[in-house]
Amino acid sequence: MTLYDKLISLYPALTVADFNPITGTICLQNNSDGNGDYIAKWNHPTLARPTEEQLA
Amino acid sequence: MSAVQIQGNASGTGTLTIAAPNTNTNQTLTLPDLTGTLSVNGPAFSAYANAVQTFTTATSTKVLFQTEEFDTNNNFSSSRFTPTIAGYYQVNACIYFSAMSTLYGFIIIQKNGVDYKYGSTLVGTAAGCFAIVSTLVYMNGTTDYLETFASQSTGVNQNSNNGIALTWFNGAMVRGA
Repeated sequence: MTLYDKLISLYPALTVADFNPITGTICLQNNSDGNGDYIAKWNHPTLARPTEEQLA
Repeated sequence: MSAVQIQGNASGTGTLTIAAPNTNTNQTLTLPDLTGTLSVNGPAFSAYANAVQTFTTATSTKVLFQTEEFDTNNNFSSSRFTPTIAGYYQVNACIYFSAMSTLYGFIIIQKNGVDYKYGSTLVGTAAGCFAIVSTLVYMNGTTDYLETFASQSTGVNQNSNNGIALTWFNGAMVRGA
């Protein structure tokens, strides 16, 4: 399961629009360095940034 | 009459040599009536992807360019351009998503890890589409670096196509600092 899938599962109200690079409030990033996806930005107005435990 | 003065630098120890080419013709080199640093053969690079890469939906992913066409100053490494000469650079990048419509893709040039310029998708083939970005950027010649990222929002994974004509990243210095 990708980080995106985990976030959608945790917060079903999220849509891909929330992750739009220009207009979205959440940015997921992968530096292609073997460390996988991570949350580069979380500015969602109502949903709290999930903890590592929630994403585990 | 105006004059030409050659001035050394008290901090340096190297010797600057002005050399003539192998010619039998008298030539005149006219300097510009400006103050500044002349630029000679600034860095230029061009690289492309030689492997298909998978992009997770809604995730900006660094694009990998494994093969270099040229890298005149050895400033391109690990899909990152870090020029060692300060100046203004024209850079361009393109990615081809092999099975995606034009509605969902972005290509991003990041400078020092931060989104710098966006480019969106353009019409490609019936099966896929290109995303292209082109910009002029100042680089300090020491720590500044550029990388290319791509993002798509189809809801499922998407693959890029590899090849010299499809997924590439290139640039060159256009003037000094």
